[in-house]
Amino acid sequence: MGELIRLEGIVKSFDDTVVLNGIDLSVDENEFVTLLGPSGCGKTTTLRIIAGFEKPDQGRVYFEGKDITDMPANQRPVNTVFQNYALFPHMSVGENIAFSLRVKNRPEDEIKKKVANALKLVNLKGFENRRIDQLSGGQQQRIAMARAIVNEPRVLLLDEPLGALDLKLRQEMEYELVRLKKELGITFIYITHDQEEALTMSDKVVVMNEGYIQQEGTPQQIYDEPVNAFVADFIGDSNILSGQMVDEKVVRIDGVDYPCIDGREEGFPPRRRVDVVIRPEDIDIVPYGKGQWNGTIISKLFIGVHYEMLVQSEHGKVEWLLQNYDQHDVGEKIGMKVDPENIQIMHKPKSEAESAIELDL
Amino acid sequence: MKKTLGRIYILIIMLFLYLPILTLIVLSFNDVKSMSVWGGFSLHWYAELFQSRLMMGAIVNTFSIAILASLIATVVGTLAVLGMAAMKPRTQNVLLGFNNIPMLNADIVTGIALMLFFLMIGAPRGYMTILFSHATFCIPYVILSVRPRVNKNTDRLYEAALDLGASEKYAFCKIVLPELQPGIISGFLLSFTMSVDDFIITYFTRGAGINTISTLIYSEVKIGIRPSLFALSTIIFVVALVVLLIVNIRQDRADRLKEVKAAY
Amino acid sequence: MTAKKKSYSIPFILWIIAGTVIPLASIAYYGFTSREGGFTFANITAMFRGDHMQALGLSLSLALISTVICLLLAFPMAMVLRESKYGKQGFLIFVIILPMWMNFLLRTMAWQVLLERQGVINAIITAIGLPRQEMMNTPGAIVLGMVYDFLPFMILPIYNTVSKIDNHLIEAAYDLGATKGKVYTKVILPLSVPGIVSGITMVFIPALTTFVISNMLGGGKINLIGNIIEQEFTVNSNWYLGSGLSLVMMVFIILSMLLLQKFDKTGGANLI
Repeated sequence: MGELIRLEGIVKSFDDTVVLNGIDLSVDENEFVTLLGPSGCGKTTTLRIIAGFEKPDQGRVYFEGKDITDMPANQRPVNTVFQNYALFPHMSVGENIAFSLRVKNRPEDEIKKKVANALKLVNLKGFENRRIDQLSGGQQQRIAMARAIVNEPRVLLLDEPLGALDLKLRQEMEYELVRLKKELGITFIYITHDQEEALTMSDKVVVMNEGYIQQEGTPQQIYDEPVNAFVADFIGDSNILSGQMVDEKVVRIDGVDYPCIDGREEGFPPRRRVDVVIRPEDIDIVPYGKGQWNGTIISKLFIGVHYEMLVQSEHGKVEWLLQNYDQHDVGEKIGMKVDPENIQIMHKPKSEAESAIELDL
Repeated sequence: MKKTLGRIYILIIMLFLYLPILTLIVLSFNDVKSMSVWGGFSLHWYAELFQSRLMMGAIVNTFSIAILASLIATVVGTLAVLGMAAMKPRTQNVLLGFNNIPMLNADIVTGIALMLFFLMIGAPRGYMTILFSHATFCIPYVILSVRPRVNKNTDRLYEAALDLGASEKYAFCKIVLPELQPGIISGFLLSFTMSVDDFIITYFTRGAGINTISTLIYSEVKIGIRPSLFALSTIIFVVALVVLLIVNIRQDRADRLKEVKAAY
Repeated sequence: MTAKKKSYSIPFILWIIAGTVIPLASIAYYGFTSREGGFTFANITAMFRGDHMQALGLSLSLALISTVICLLLAFPMAMVLRESKYGKQGFLIFVIILPMWMNFLLRTMAWQVLLERQGVINAIITAIGLPRQEMMNTPGAIVLGMVYDFLPFMILPIYNTVSKIDNHLIEAAYDLGATKGKVYTKVILPLSVPGIVSGITMVFIPALTTFVISNMLGGGKINLIGNIIEQEFTVNSNWYLGSGLSLVMMVFIILSMLLLQKFDKTGGANLI
């Protein structure tokens, strides 16, 4: 799998607002890459630069090593599935899908065959003559896909394609997308603010915020080893606690000294202030006094499969978020236990860490 | 490149739209009664205009008819919208079809039709027949402006008001009318401008001896253009400019207020 | 429970009957009645008289030419407006609406002042040593007056539809490989049809039926069908003939609207 698309030092601002702050990104052939982040993080602008709708202020875009920064959108070997589908309302389903073939003046029988094929791929066989406003949201979504893939692009760009669908349909479409990608054998660059979508489908997740790439990695890496508090907070629920290294591989969390795996080699020497991430499902409930921390359950919610509880700790007045399959009552005093490999130590965001050190001196 | 082309195009259209008006404005200050020779600056065409009893009468007629016709149209039209909302869709469509007729029909046909109607019932043509005719062609605009504002939501708000203990009358005045208010206001304004601007229908439905600004201009132009009409053009242009500016600035402010509120 | 009562519509229904139904019925009545009071088709068939046919033909052709010129001027303007910045857009719309607020008789008079033998344009022409031009009382002057009076009515509805075209649709067309020309012919133009259709209605019908513009810029020498009908009512007092000709003209209006509606598959205007 060779490199297909490379972004180098992309900077983009609109009026006075800087939207992208020097983005470097490499996408491999046949990869499913997801750009994940909250709204306004720059993910859509990144996609639009790849598609050719926006020109970066600085930086270059390469496709198979060739500089395509100045190539207009209608000549790029990429196609886009738009967030609101952008289906042409004055054309039938068949005409929508045929559009890219029509503008290239392909012969009529080829168009017919390819349109039918594309419809089959998205499981809407025989929909050629339907009108766009007769379709449900999910069907429109599939037509938008069919229209984008009929011309066999090397890369498919998907801008929050499932955003407008309800939960059940969305989950169904996630499987559908993975299947489609496998059948087509092309590269997908996918945009979403939904971390679950990102983790389910992607080969690689790129977490973005405020115009910077925060972290890049497999879904597993992003979830298990978030590099900073933003990523940890954005991906799933987590407890992000302030901590301080008290010794080699010993961190003080919520008033308790705790032996951990990370140490000086990872950049966490003694006395360094750090952030610690503990996922709520990694905290075991044990009888009072039998764990590393003690606390009182102050609230409880049943959310489908498990219970979610807030625990007020006795040590440092910190509230912990727990997820557990077992039933415990509000007011119950419990102990909490966490395995060392489930504690992720992270650097404080730079400015905060510096001021913390100054205070220490 | 593309931008400059666009700018040049805008400029050409603007010149086309405004050069004739500008010519009238300049000539209104011309001391001599010529369309091609500048005889020095003077305001005496304005004096002549204001001393004309005919013109002053026409101005009073134009605005009183416009205000009354718009008021009648607003009341009748708003009630009609509320009444229609309680009807079957088919009946509504039939009524709307009739409602569209004066809007889509050529003004000359509407004017002639009303004139024949007044002749048939023996109504003496004058102020009242003009007023009736203006209300007739204004009602459709009110209905068109108000109707989009009546929907399920208005029903729900009304029911909520009753649920909270309001009387029907109170709920109507305090909930339903404010909900419709933007549509009612724009319907009224649209009616007012249509009425002030109308010539053809007034021309056929007025009697001898009564004039609006439009009919007076027409009869004067037929005799020969007097520069006092240039003065009138200038005044109307300035008034329109000021009114539209005020409306636009208020609209702008309202929009900005909305944006500010949305930001919080 | 509802704030709506059917009875609220009663004044409106009465008004429709008195202000629209009966008056239109009286046109129909007079149109099919002879001066002596008997039933006749003569007022209708009078349209085929030479002078009437000529007037109708001239009206149709001048109205058509004016409409086409308005369309050709308005569409690029609407596109330029669409692509302008938001604040500037508001200003330009304002500038286009403003002349509409000036009485259209005065606007037409302005062209009389410009085109007259002793008018402004001739003064400029002769000042630079060219021969005086006869521009008034020509079909060209009437077309100019129509275009000037009705152009904003073409720009605004087209701008309204064009400005609502989702930018993503245009991007999607580019994304799918369309050239600029193809984007216009395959996406922008078809999506502007509702605006174009209502613009055409708003220009063509008043242009076809006008008697004011032809009177003021045609000097009473050029008769359009509107002039003929007006004279039957005001000069000749032959309401029967005037009504008959009006009925025929209405048929033309309805036919042209139906024709237009065929183009507007999206069913924009709710025509009679």
